[in-house]
Amino acid sequence: MVFLTAFTSIAGFTQIKITVAVAANMQYAMEALKAEFNKTDKTEISIVLGASGKLTQQIMQSAPFDVFISADTSFPEKLMQNNLAAEPPKVYAQGILVLWSAEPGIQPAADLKLLLNENIQHIAIANPKTAPYGAAAEFILKKYGLYDKIASKLVTGESITQASQFIATQAADIGFTAKSIVISAEMKGKGKWIELNRNDYPPIKQAAVLLKYGRENHAAAAKNFYDFLFSKQAKLIYKNFGYIVQ
Amino acid sequence: MHRMIELSPLWLTLKLAFFTTLILFFIAIPVAAWLSHKKTIFKTIAEVIVSMPLVLPPSVIGFYMLLAFSPGNAFGALLEKWFNARLVFSFEGLLVASVIYSLPFMIHPIQSGLSSLPPSLKEASYSLGKTKFQTLLRVLLPNIKPSLLTGIVLTFAHTIGEFGVVLMIGGNIPGKTRTASVAIYDEVEAFNYHNANVYAVILLVLSFSILFILYLYNRRLQQVKIF
Repeated sequence: MVFLTAFTSIAGFTQIKITVAVAANMQYAMEALKAEFNKTDKTEISIVLGASGKLTQQIMQSAPFDVFISADTSFPEKLMQNNLAAEPPKVYAQGILVLWSAEPGIQPAADLKLLLNENIQHIAIANPKTAPYGAAAEFILKKYGLYDKIASKLVTGESITQASQFIATQAADIGFTAKSIVISAEMKGKGKWIELNRNDYPPIKQAAVLLKYGRENHAAAAKNFYDFLFSKQAKLIYKNFGYIVQ
Repeated sequence: MHRMIELSPLWLTLKLAFFTTLILFFIAIPVAAWLSHKKTIFKTIAEVIVSMPLVLPPSVIGFYMLLAFSPGNAFGALLEKWFNARLVFSFEGLLVASVIYSLPFMIHPIQSGLSSLPPSLKEASYSLGKTKFQTLLRVLLPNIKPSLLTGIVLTFAHTIGEFGVVLMIGGNIPGKTRTASVAIYDEVEAFNYHNANVYAVILLVLSFSILFILYLYNRRLQQVKIF
């Protein structure tokens, strides 16, 4: 009994831990955000990575996440409509779509015509239904009138991470991903990439939302971290990791 | 909101299960016959390798296959150069993966069936002048029909249920690598619970029927106790 009391009292003093659901494209920036945040606030941040749609799905099935950092605005909006958000979502950064290949003989070009070449058999894309970067890639392919011609070459990763992994391992010859992935320390120097024309796909406005679960369970800690996402320091991190910030 | 449900994932799943079972059947018989003889340390190692897919997570198998099949890798490059075949993101690739992944499900029942036969059966056949091959084909195999059936059905059913490996090396291509299990996952992710439900119910009924027929048939034969 004494032991139990001692144990609970120790537990009472342990660091608060919050869980943040993070869109796969943000995985590298997230590490930097976490380190920056923990300089002043010792709240432990645990990260769950996935495609935004999948994470939304999990939150709707009452996954215990305090904050959701999405790759678009529609999934956080959806949570808002379903009464799972503590306050309306806010945009923290804008993503950039790139075409990337790790094969030595392939030079990505922004007009995408090379996708028609015979030596390109597989084009990786994130699932357009759940991953906003996948949706943007599908949009640009349709806009350029290429979608129907190359549809049979498309291989779908369940998130931007899996699509990137297909490209990095050269399982796919070329593919669409986020700039934040290709300029990360892990992927830097692997093959060649090019930014696609930003006017040819709807802006990938990435929003974050403070979730009801967070407000109900770790109100102060979750709110602090959520506010930090819109701070000057955080904006600098987004910029360094290949996002556009206003 | 509801898109029409596509039948191609179900058809593809059945096709994959059929060919996996067919290929494994012919691989498994010689391997099982070899393994069922008396043990050497080499055979024990072979047995361990055969059983590995039972304990390894599909993600491990999928990961290694993804690397092996990629043209950026030596093995994948060879395949492409010599056979002009790229196994990653293809039906053939799934087939190779399924054969490896379902290996123990075919080999184990056949092996235990063969081991359970009295040695006198084999010896009688040999003394009547039959070769090893004739003995296997005409004497041993007809006596382990329930084991053969169990191997076939378990392999078929296990391939229907395959998910992790397909997800990792398939690339979710409609008609080529989007099997029913992946289609269900996809529909759930896209909030199409209705479609996911339709696929799931079909798979559920299918799996139940397959296993039910197997147990019924084996009960009727009442020969070897398998489970």
